[in-house]
Amino acid sequence: MDTTQLLKGVLDLAVLAALRDEDGYGYDILRRLRSAGLEDVGDASVYGTLRRLFNGGLLSTYVVPSDEGPHRKYYALNAGGRAELQRSGKVWQGFASTMDDLLRERGTA
Amino acid sequence: MIGTEQYEITAYLYAVRAALGDLPESTRDELLEDLPEHLAEVLVEAGGTLVERLGPPEAYAAELRASLGFVGGFPDPPPPGKLVELRAALLSRLRVADVKLGPLLGYERASEFVLLLRPAWWVLRGYLLAMVVAWMLDDSGQPMGLLPRIGGSELVALLLLAAAVLGSIWLGRRSFRSAAPWPRWALYAGTTVLALVAIGGFFNADSSTRDSNYSDVNYDNSNPFSGVEDVFVYDQQGRLLPGVRIVDQYGAPIELGTPYCSDPTTGEYLHTDHMGYPYCPRNAPFATPSDERSPAPTATAASSAPAVPTPTASRSAPR
Repeated sequence: MDTTQLLKGVLDLAVLAALRDEDGYGYDILRRLRSAGLEDVGDASVYGTLRRLFNGGLLSTYVVPSDEGPHRKYYALNAGGRAELQRSGKVWQGFASTMDDLLRERGTA
Repeated sequence: MIGTEQYEITAYLYAVRAALGDLPESTRDELLEDLPEHLAEVLVEAGGTLVERLGPPEAYAAELRASLGFVGGFPDPPPPGKLVELRAALLSRLRVADVKLGPLLGYERASEFVLLLRPAWWVLRGYLLAMVVAWMLDDSGQPMGLLPRIGGSELVALLLLAAAVLGSIWLGRRSFRSAAPWPRWALYAGTTVLALVAIGGFFNADSSTRDSNYSDVNYDNSNPFSGVEDVFVYDQQGRLLPGVRIVDQYGAPIELGTPYCSDPTTGEYLHTDHMGYPYCPRNAPFATPSDERSPAPTATAASSAPAVPTPTASRSAPR
């Protein structure tokens, strides 16, 4: 099974989770996801997901000027984003534990 | 350095935009809105060219499309022409400028600030519209003032102004997105005309305000004194008074005519040597035969001008 197929369903949740503790700009978020183990995630996917979550009213943004290089657009979870993270997180945990159980039964069988 | 980066970003952006050519324009614009800044971040962060870091733009576009949930399915659009590419280039430049100028105004983007000004524009547009309508309907021949008068009525002017401003606000609050393209084009064309009229009218009003002192006296055809060349003042007895000065209520000299006379013998047109009016006593329209030039202090004073105290020998002064 290809992880990119799995990623498509949970990228929203992954990005929301990556922003839970700390705001971040696009490339920064990509780096967090990759260092967390989602190595197949692409820059365009993260950028597109950020745009979509922002348009969906789950993120707020602000620009941080930088002395060297371009200004960075930081994304932050707003109240709606936190609620969505909690809700989707629960759905995912329920789904994942079901899958775990399923796989464990298969494994033990 | 900055220049080549900007060029690389712009080129990459074109290619991504072109690969997403089948998406509805609004969706695509929305999707790519922040991409220039994002690509700039990537360039700084990662080193190497954009293609090295992110892969070919077509693959990037495909990944973007997947992240949206759009999987294509639309027929291939005609390839974008030069004009479309030029437009895309201008738009992306504009977006960069938008973001760069924003912080100067205290907003994230300059366009956010400009959007706040829209209702003010609606009101101004209404005013301009009223002025244009009044200008077309008014046939009094008088120059336009600040109110859209038709036939000099203030009430009509105020009613017209109110209607135009309210209409313009109503139009501004209405969205043209779903309608056919022609009302939008009509609006754009009308706006262009209004803007041109406004610019013309503004400069016209400015120059007429600045030059009103001169134009009222010398150039305005409606001024009854525009044909005056010289001034002749006669006293109660009908004698021409020489060296007269005329002032207004503030004591400022009233200057009429031109201080030049043509010499009757040589025909030369020379600056007059008379102080005050008349400039050219020879040209007096009513000359008394007995007193042709000016009231002489000696010859006929005793008989014709008892009111004027003149030092004549024949009269004995009472004291």
